Amino acid sequence: MSEDTRSFAAPPEAGPEGGDLLPEHESRLRGTLAGLVRNRLALFGLLVLGTLLVVGVFGSWLAPAHPTAVDIPNRLAPPSLDSPFGTDHLGRDVFSRVLVGARVSLQVAAIAVGISLVAGVTLGLIAGYYGRLVDDVIMRLMDVLFAFPAILLAIAILGVLGPTMTNAMIAVGIVFTPIFARVTRGSVLSVREETYVRAARSLGASDLRLIRLHILPNVMAPIIVQASVSLAFAILIEAALSFLGLGVQPPNPSWGRMLLDGRDVLRQAWWVTFFPGLAIFFTVAAFNFVGDALRDVLDPRQRSVIESRGRA
Amino acid sequence: MSRYVVRRLLQAVVVMLGVSIVVFALVHLVPGDPIRTAMGTRFDQQTYELLRARHGFDEPLYVQYFTWLASAVTGDLGVSFRSGRPVTTVLLGRLPATLSLAFAAIVVALLIALPLGIVSAVRQGRASDYIATALSQVGISIPDFWMAIMFILLFSLTLGWLPATGYAPLSEDPLTWLRHVTMPAVTLGVVSGSVITRFVRSSMLEAMSQDYTQTARAKGLAERVVVRRHVIKNALIPVVTVTGLQLAFLLGGVIVVEFIFAWPGLGQLLLIAVQSRDYTVLQGAVLLFALIFLIINLVVDLLYAWLDPRIKYG
Repeated sequence: MSEDTRSFAAPPEAGPEGGDLLPEHESRLRGTLAGLVRNRLALFGLLVLGTLLVVGVFGSWLAPAHPTAVDIPNRLAPPSLDSPFGTDHLGRDVFSRVLVGARVSLQVAAIAVGISLVAGVTLGLIAGYYGRLVDDVIMRLMDVLFAFPAILLAIAILGVLGPTMTNAMIAVGIVFTPIFARVTRGSVLSVREETYVRAARSLGASDLRLIRLHILPNVMAPIIVQASVSLAFAILIEAALSFLGLGVQPPNPSWGRMLLDGRDVLRQAWWVTFFPGLAIFFTVAAFNFVGDALRDVLDPRQRSVIESRGRA
Repeated sequence: MSRYVVRRLLQAVVVMLGVSIVVFALVHLVPGDPIRTAMGTRFDQQTYELLRARHGFDEPLYVQYFTWLASAVTGDLGVSFRSGRPVTTVLLGRLPATLSLAFAAIVVALLIALPLGIVSAVRQGRASDYIATALSQVGISIPDFWMAIMFILLFSLTLGWLPATGYAPLSEDPLTWLRHVTMPAVTLGVVSGSVITRFVRSSMLEAMSQDYTQTARAKGLAERVVVRRHVIKNALIPVVTVTGLQLAFLLGGVIVVEFIFAWPGLGQLLLIAVQSRDYTVLQGAVLLFALIFLIINLVVDLLYAWLDPRIKYG
């Protein structure tokens, strides 16, 4: 166990022979990147994510048509050179909507994971560092949130708060908080008693300083892996919520909402549901590939993709 | 072991109490007043006062909670805001549809995961391993609701093989049930099966590298016999628990899949309750989902301890 622990709480003098024992932060970063590039699936994932980032930022400029421009005479037109993904029931260009929808989906997922990351890591640090009653109270609270299937909790929260994009981000943020708290707490427990933490404590470092400078940097690896995997599931949950009419509201293009719109015209126009679904699939797969590879490189003990998938 | 069982049971009770607080609080998180919100445009003061009194909303919050909890424990979850029917009756009427779907889905998941995972491990590093791994990767990333719609497009609208919607109770008409359950169960089963496949594979690989497997090989047993008698038996212990957990996690997917296939289960009820702002039914459905989720997790934990006495009861 103690050997395992050292693998990501690597003190500076540890040699590189231990596989993922990398001596300094820079070499660790370089090692991570090299590991990701070596893994072909991860490279594919990175390429997809890079493309998505570009599309997310420049989507509205890249889109050949305005994503909400209605063109009734041209409704349900099949894919063609003019509109590669066809048009929907209002004659809107599906390709342009998929491009612009990327921003909405990524934005909701990123903010939701951001909320859970900040809340979960803070709670996990406090629980793991202070232990005893504080730990018990926080972790039992997390157990309670864990006792709901993720999407159920999100639906319930949106059911009472009302279906808006902001509420969807808050709901998904709450749903993912316990997993970050658990991952962080577990790692804190294993580094809390490391010699370098004790040394810093004996030199009179304050709790805040200890947590910020000595504990947090050494528990980041599993958190980064978790964040990457959670992004995949946040995209899925956001799409599911929007598909149920509880997330992003029209006329904003979101991939999940587009599936809902397309479902009613499925018989006449398969393209309205096919392409947004494909976009969700590639995005989720890309985050999963990168998450898997990051785990192999940074935190070989964790099986987070499998465990977190269950949560979604 | 018995100490572990008692502790685990107590823990489940504490979590369930926490869950009950969250579920109770849900209704009180409604911006403004849940009854006023539920009444919408048909608001009139007299009915409003009557409903408030009937649902106990004029009491202090903690009194409301304990009254609600005391009734909930006896199976009384109040009456529906909309239909006036007892919530428990509504929920129990929907339960068989959801449970039969979840059961069918986990069967599909195992039918996918066991062969795929075993072949993948036995032929590690060869083409079939890569194909199996790729398939499970696809299954993990594919949005189940999209897969469901594509299934409808292909098998109902194009080929006309299976009905897109509809339901018949398993106990009354098993054949019709089977025709209707196939697509929703396969949708859910593919996702869970993909997760279980990865566990079967890694669990098999681990068992294959154990000393007892080496010994079996060393005494000259054929590889097929080694795998069948020594590897699979040991590898399946963790798979039992993962399958149990997947059954619990399936419940999340059930909600969306029931919506798509108009499957009259708890998930569909939950969504109808959200849309019609029927907060008592929403509360009851969330509570029941959480209870089932908790019970499955509890059973899985206890089963694991029983199957594998080596685990530490931490």
